[in-house]
Amino acid sequence: MAKAAAKNKRGIAGWLNPYHYNAERWAYTFQRVTGVAVLLYVLGHLGDTSFFVGGPTGTGPSASSWAFIGTVFENTFGHTILVLLVLALVFHGVNGIRLVLSEFGLILRKPSAIEFPYKPKALASGQRALIYVGIATAVLSAIWTYLVLFEGMG
Amino acid sequence: MRESRLMLLQYVTALLAVALVSIHLMMQGVILPYDTAISFNNMLSIYRNAVTAVFLEALLLVVLVHGFNGLRIILYELRQTKPWTTWVDVVTVAAVIGTVAYGTRTVILAAFGVVSA
Repeated sequence: MAKAAAKNKRGIAGWLNPYHYNAERWAYTFQRVTGVAVLLYVLGHLGDTSFFVGGPTGTGPSASSWAFIGTVFENTFGHTILVLLVLALVFHGVNGIRLVLSEFGLILRKPSAIEFPYKPKALASGQRALIYVGIATAVLSAIWTYLVLFEGMG
Repeated sequence: MRESRLMLLQYVTALLAVALVSIHLMMQGVILPYDTAISFNNMLSIYRNAVTAVFLEALLLVVLVHGFNGLRIILYELRQTKPWTTWVDVVTVAAVIGTVAYGTRTVILAAFGVVSA
Protein backbone atom coordinates (compact mmCIF):
# COMPACT_ATOMS: atom_id res chain seq x y z
CA MET A 1 0.00 0.00 0.00
CA ALA A 2 2.68 2.47 1.08
CA LYS A 3 4.87 1.33 -1.78
CA ALA A 4 2.06 1.89 -4.29
CA ALA A 5 1.42 5.35 -2.83
CA ALA A 6 5.11 6.19 -3.03
CA LYS A 7 5.12 5.38 -6.74
CA ASN A 8 2.20 7.79 -7.30
CA LYS A 9 1.53 6.31 -10.72
CA ARG A 10 -0.73 9.08 -11.98
CA GLY A 11 2.14 11.54 -11.55
CA ILE A 12 1.57 14.92 -13.17
CA ALA A 13 -1.73 13.71 -14.63
CA GLY A 14 -2.97 13.41 -11.05
CA TRP A 15 -3.12 17.17 -10.62
CA LEU A 16 -3.07 18.36 -14.21
CA ASN A 17 -6.48 16.96 -15.15
CA PRO A 18 -9.34 18.85 -13.45
CA TYR A 19 -12.00 17.47 -15.81
CA HIS A 20 -15.22 16.39 -14.00
CA TYR A 21 -14.27 18.37 -10.87
CA ASN A 22 -15.50 21.68 -9.42
CA ALA A 23 -14.26 25.26 -9.99
CA GLU A 24 -11.87 25.07 -7.03
CA ARG A 25 -10.19 22.04 -8.59
CA TRP A 26 -9.79 23.92 -11.87
CA ALA A 27 -8.31 26.84 -9.91
CA TYR A 28 -5.88 24.41 -8.25
CA THR A 29 -4.68 23.17 -11.64
CA PHE A 30 -4.40 26.66 -13.11
CA GLN A 31 -2.56 27.88 -9.99
CA ARG A 32 0.14 25.29 -10.64
CA VAL A 33 0.29 25.66 -14.41
CA THR A 34 0.54 29.46 -14.16
CA GLY A 35 3.08 29.13 -11.32
CA VAL A 36 5.40 26.97 -13.41
CA ALA A 37 4.91 29.22 -16.46
CA VAL A 38 5.74 32.35 -14.46
CA LEU A 39 8.82 30.69 -12.94
CA LEU A 40 10.06 29.82 -16.45
CA TYR A 41 9.49 33.43 -17.50
CA VAL A 42 11.36 34.73 -14.44
CA LEU A 43 14.37 32.59 -15.33
CA GLY A 44 14.30 33.99 -18.88
CA HIS A 45 13.83 37.50 -17.48
CA LEU A 46 16.94 37.06 -15.30
CA GLY A 47 18.79 36.24 -18.51
CA ASP A 48 17.49 39.14 -20.58
CA THR A 49 17.94 41.77 -17.85
CA SER A 50 21.54 40.61 -17.41
CA PHE A 51 22.15 42.04 -20.89
CA PHE A 52 21.76 45.47 -19.27
CA VAL A 53 25.27 44.83 -17.92
CA GLY A 54 26.53 43.08 -21.06
CA GLY A 55 25.18 39.58 -20.46
CA PRO A 56 26.88 36.71 -18.59
CA THR A 57 30.38 38.03 -19.30
CA GLY A 58 29.55 41.74 -18.95
CA THR A 59 31.20 44.05 -16.44
CA GLY A 60 28.88 47.07 -16.29
CA PRO A 61 25.91 48.87 -17.86
CA SER A 62 26.15 48.63 -21.64
CA ALA A 63 23.84 50.65 -23.90
CA SER A 64 24.71 48.56 -26.98
CA SER A 65 24.06 45.25 -25.20
CA TRP A 66 20.70 46.56 -23.92
CA ALA A 67 19.80 47.77 -27.41
CA PHE A 68 20.67 44.33 -28.77
CA ILE A 69 18.41 42.49 -26.34
CA GLY A 70 15.67 45.01 -27.19
CA THR A 71 15.80 43.91 -30.82
CA VAL A 72 15.35 40.30 -29.68
CA PHE A 73 12.35 40.78 -27.34
CA GLU A 74 10.70 44.12 -28.20
CA ASN A 75 8.63 42.75 -31.07
CA THR A 76 5.23 41.14 -31.63
CA PHE A 77 6.38 37.76 -30.32
CA GLY A 78 7.96 39.22 -27.16
CA HIS A 79 4.96 41.45 -26.48
CA THR A 80 2.55 38.53 -26.94
CA ILE A 81 4.57 36.61 -24.34
CA LEU A 82 4.23 39.61 -21.97
CA VAL A 83 0.44 39.76 -22.44
CA LEU A 84 0.18 36.02 -21.67
CA LEU A 85 2.55 36.48 -18.72
CA VAL A 86 0.35 39.19 -17.19
CA LEU A 87 -2.72 36.98 -17.69
CA ALA A 88 -1.03 34.08 -15.87
CA LEU A 89 0.66 36.25 -13.23
CA VAL A 90 -2.43 38.19 -12.16
CA PHE A 91 -4.59 35.07 -11.93
CA HIS A 92 -1.84 33.34 -9.92
CA GLY A 93 -1.57 36.33 -7.58
CA VAL A 94 -5.29 36.86 -6.92
CA ASN A 95 -6.03 33.15 -6.61
CA GLY A 96 -2.95 32.87 -4.39
CA ILE A 97 -4.41 35.49 -2.03
CA ARG A 98 -7.57 33.33 -1.85
CA LEU A 99 -5.43 30.33 -0.94
CA VAL A 100 -3.54 32.24 1.77
CA LEU A 101 -6.80 33.56 3.26
CA SER A 102 -8.33 30.09 3.32
CA GLU A 103 -5.12 28.53 4.71
CA PHE A 104 -5.38 30.83 7.72
CA GLY A 105 -9.12 30.16 8.04
CA LEU A 106 -10.15 33.71 7.23
CA ILE A 107 -12.68 32.82 4.52
CA LEU A 108 -13.83 29.46 5.83
CA ARG A 109 -17.16 28.93 7.54
CA LYS A 110 -17.41 27.16 10.86
CA PRO A 111 -17.78 23.37 10.59
CA SER A 112 -21.34 22.13 10.95
CA ALA A 113 -23.46 19.06 10.32
CA ILE A 114 -23.84 18.22 6.66
CA GLU A 115 -27.23 18.93 5.14
CA PHE A 116 -28.90 18.36 1.83
CA PRO A 117 -27.84 19.24 -0.93
CA TYR A 118 -24.42 18.53 0.62
CA LYS A 119 -22.59 21.53 -0.80
CA PRO A 120 -19.13 21.89 0.80
CA LYS A 121 -19.52 24.72 3.32
CA ALA A 122 -15.78 25.26 3.44
CA LEU A 123 -16.01 26.60 -0.10
CA ALA A 124 -18.58 29.26 0.79
CA SER A 125 -17.81 32.76 2.14
CA GLY A 126 -16.76 34.17 -1.18
CA GLN A 127 -14.17 31.58 -2.11
CA ARG A 128 -15.71 30.90 -5.50
CA ALA A 129 -16.32 34.62 -6.03
CA LEU A 130 -12.61 35.21 -5.46
CA ILE A 131 -11.77 32.73 -8.22
CA TYR A 132 -13.95 34.70 -10.62
CA VAL A 133 -12.43 37.97 -9.39
CA GLY A 134 -9.02 36.46 -10.19
CA ILE A 135 -10.10 35.54 -13.72
CA ALA A 136 -11.69 38.95 -14.33
CA THR A 137 -8.68 40.84 -12.94
CA ALA A 138 -6.31 38.74 -15.03
CA VAL A 139 -8.27 39.35 -18.24
CA LEU A 140 -8.55 43.11 -17.58
CA SER A 141 -4.83 43.33 -16.79
CA ALA A 142 -3.98 41.41 -19.96
CA ILE A 143 -6.17 43.78 -22.00
CA TRP A 144 -4.42 46.77 -20.43
CA THR A 145 -1.03 45.19 -21.23
CA TYR A 146 -2.13 44.61 -24.82
CA LEU A 147 -3.17 48.27 -25.10
CA VAL A 148 0.16 49.43 -23.65
CA LEU A 149 2.34 47.18 -25.80
CA PHE A 150 0.41 47.05 -29.05
CA GLU A 151 -1.61 50.28 -29.09
CA GLY A 152 0.87 52.61 -27.37
CA MET A 153 -1.33 53.49 -24.39
CA GLY A 154 0.07 54.12 -20.91
CA MET B 1 13.54 23.32 8.01
CA ARG B 2 10.18 21.83 9.03
CA GLU B 3 7.60 21.50 6.28
CA SER B 4 5.14 23.73 8.17
CA ARG B 5 7.77 26.48 8.26
CA LEU B 6 8.39 26.08 4.54
CA MET B 7 4.67 26.41 3.83
CA LEU B 8 4.53 29.53 6.03
CA LEU B 9 7.50 30.86 4.04
CA GLN B 10 5.54 30.12 0.85
CA TYR B 11 2.55 32.16 2.08
CA VAL B 12 4.65 35.06 3.37
CA THR B 13 6.65 35.27 0.13
CA ALA B 14 3.37 35.02 -1.81
CA LEU B 15 1.96 38.13 -0.13
CA LEU B 16 5.26 40.00 -0.47
CA ALA B 17 5.47 38.96 -4.14
CA VAL B 18 1.96 40.26 -4.84
CA ALA B 19 2.94 43.67 -3.43
CA LEU B 20 6.39 43.86 -5.06
CA VAL B 21 5.36 42.48 -8.47
CA SER B 22 2.36 44.84 -8.56
CA ILE B 23 4.69 47.82 -8.09
CA HIS B 24 7.12 46.37 -10.66
CA LEU B 25 4.36 46.03 -13.26
CA MET B 26 2.89 49.46 -12.48
CA MET B 27 6.28 51.02 -13.17
CA GLN B 28 5.96 49.86 -16.78
CA GLY B 29 2.97 51.30 -18.55
CA VAL B 30 1.01 52.82 -15.65
CA ILE B 31 3.30 55.11 -13.62
CA LEU B 32 5.76 55.52 -16.49
CA PRO B 33 5.17 55.04 -20.23
CA TYR B 34 6.47 51.59 -21.27
CA ASP B 35 9.07 52.93 -23.72
CA THR B 36 10.44 55.31 -21.09
CA ALA B 37 10.46 52.59 -18.43
CA ILE B 38 12.68 50.24 -20.43
CA SER B 39 14.98 52.94 -21.82
CA PHE B 40 18.66 52.57 -20.90
CA ASN B 41 18.86 55.88 -19.05
CA ASN B 42 15.77 55.20 -16.94
CA MET B 43 16.97 51.69 -16.08
CA LEU B 44 20.37 53.08 -15.12
CA SER B 45 18.77 55.65 -12.81
CA ILE B 46 16.70 52.90 -11.17
CA TYR B 47 19.71 50.66 -10.55
CA ARG B 48 21.78 53.60 -9.24
CA ASN B 49 19.14 54.72 -6.76
CA ALA B 50 19.65 52.89 -3.46
CA VAL B 51 15.93 52.53 -2.69
CA THR B 52 14.91 51.15 -6.09
CA ALA B 53 17.99 48.92 -6.33
CA VAL B 54 17.13 47.38 -2.95
CA PHE B 55 13.54 47.02 -4.18
CA LEU B 56 14.75 45.05 -7.22
CA GLU B 57 16.96 42.86 -5.05
CA ALA B 58 14.05 42.15 -2.69
CA LEU B 59 11.82 41.37 -5.68
CA LEU B 60 14.45 38.97 -7.01
CA LEU B 61 14.81 37.16 -3.69
CA VAL B 62 11.09 36.93 -2.89
CA VAL B 63 10.02 35.75 -6.36
CA LEU B 64 12.76 33.14 -6.69
CA VAL B 65 12.26 31.70 -3.19
CA HIS B 66 8.50 31.56 -3.78
CA GLY B 67 8.87 30.10 -7.27
CA PHE B 68 11.36 27.37 -6.47
CA ASN B 69 9.66 26.47 -3.19
CA GLY B 70 6.41 26.15 -5.14
CA LEU B 71 8.10 23.90 -7.68
CA ARG B 72 9.50 21.84 -4.79
CA ILE B 73 5.97 21.36 -3.45
CA ILE B 74 4.75 20.18 -6.86
CA LEU B 75 7.69 17.80 -7.26
CA TYR B 76 7.11 16.37 -3.76
CA GLU B 77 3.64 15.29 -4.84
CA LEU B 78 4.93 13.34 -7.81
CA ARG B 79 6.80 10.86 -5.64
CA GLN B 80 7.33 10.48 -1.90
CA THR B 81 10.46 8.35 -1.63
CA LYS B 82 13.36 9.54 0.52
CA PRO B 83 15.91 9.73 -2.35
CA TRP B 84 13.45 11.78 -4.43
CA THR B 85 12.63 14.30 -1.71
CA THR B 86 16.31 14.66 -0.82
CA TRP B 87 17.19 15.24 -4.48
CA VAL B 88 14.37 17.79 -4.84
CA ASP B 89 15.52 19.63 -1.69
CA VAL B 90 19.13 19.80 -2.87
CA VAL B 91 18.20 20.97 -6.38
CA THR B 92 15.78 23.58 -4.97
CA VAL B 93 18.39 25.09 -2.64
CA ALA B 94 21.02 25.04 -5.40
CA ALA B 95 18.60 26.65 -7.88
CA VAL B 96 17.64 29.43 -5.45
CA ILE B 97 21.29 30.16 -4.59
CA GLY B 98 22.38 30.07 -8.25
CA THR B 99 19.62 32.26 -9.64
CA VAL B 100 19.68 34.77 -6.79
CA ALA B 101 23.47 35.03 -7.22
CA TYR B 102 23.11 35.66 -10.97
CA GLY B 103 20.39 38.25 -10.49
CA THR B 104 22.33 39.94 -7.68
CA ARG B 105 25.35 40.12 -9.98
CA THR B 106 23.23 42.09 -12.48
CA VAL B 107 22.03 44.48 -9.76
CA ILE B 108 25.56 45.04 -8.40
CA LEU B 109 27.17 45.53 -11.82
CA ALA B 110 24.35 47.86 -12.90
CA ALA B 111 24.67 49.87 -9.70
CA PHE B 112 28.46 50.11 -9.49
CA GLY B 113 29.88 49.06 -12.88
CA VAL B 114 31.45 51.39 -15.44
CA VAL B 115 28.93 52.53 -18.06
CA SER B 116 29.81 51.80 -21.69
CA ALA B 117 28.17 52.83 -24.96
